Amino acid sequence: MTMKKFHRIIVPLGSLACRLILAIIFYYAGIEKIADPGAFAIAIYNYQLLPDFAVNALAVILPWVEIIMATCFVAGFYVRGAALISSALFLTFATALTINLVRGLDISCGCFGAASGNINWFYLGRDLSFLFISIFVMIYDRRWRYLFSLRST
Amino acid sequence: MILTGFKKALRQSLIILIFTVMIAIFFNLLRPAGIALFGFSSVNLIKQRQAQIPEISLFEAHDLYLQKKVFFVDARDPLSYEEGHIAGALNIYPDEAALHAAELKTDNYRGVLIITYCDGPQCSLSKETAYELLRQGVLEAKVLVNGWSLWIKAGYPVKKGKE
Repeated sequence: MTMKKFHRIIVPLGSLACRLILAIIFYYAGIEKIADPGAFAIAIYNYQLLPDFAVNALAVILPWVEIIMATCFVAGFYVRGAALISSALFLTFATALTINLVRGLDISCGCFGAASGNINWFYLGRDLSFLFISIFVMIYDRRWRYLFSLRST
Repeated sequence: MILTGFKKALRQSLIILIFTVMIAIFFNLLRPAGIALFGFSSVNLIKQRQAQIPEISLFEAHDLYLQKKVFFVDARDPLSYEEGHIAGALNIYPDEAALHAAELKTDNYRGVLIITYCDGPQCSLSKETAYELLRQGVLEAKVLVNGWSLWIKAGYPVKKGKE
């Protein structure tokens, strides 16, 4: 009985909460980056992983990916797709971060715009926990509709 | 079941991405602060950053040298270095910076200012080496512009050979 309750109520509600947390994170991160694309381009360049021609393009597109994903999360629209993108992004970023931590480069994280601190292992942990949350949302999210159906059953 | 769910997620994510790329490019075109989509130039950026590396005067550098608070880095080619260099200087050509950075980051060099030099007021090697060292995580480096000429003219200690 409790297991049933767990699966029918706790997991979807937990997933809803995770989804909204991700939305807040992505709105914040996206807006900070859109505000100053030039600075974000430099932050991307500092990672020393991309060729020049890709730097500005990524600096222009990535913040909008974050904004649109956040909107999907809030709206409960295309949540799985958005969660898949966010998982992929967190995974990619974890890789980029690890490479540069191992290289020993002392560069700005660029996570939340230009003002964010320099990269360290804590950021990797934070990123991986976000990755975990994204995967959880991708698998278990039931959108808003589920909340309304709870009352009738 | 899982596979169809994943396929659905994949399809959704592609649609989101295509839509987003269009919005992003459009918005970037319209806004005044927009940037050239493929116009990033790391060469310009590096030049800018090299120009920002602080310089040090010969007087200050020599003063610190007497107090043993500097470590000179000769950024010229190995041949020039062999013919003569500031006594105690290490030869680090810009592209060798990564090899030596780890050593310069150890405790032996704590509280020691790293000063790079080459020869001639227009010589950029000293700035390049300083930049590379800083990029590799060395905390502080300054440039002694036209260092070698100034140093021998002042008659300060020099050394010949590979060490």
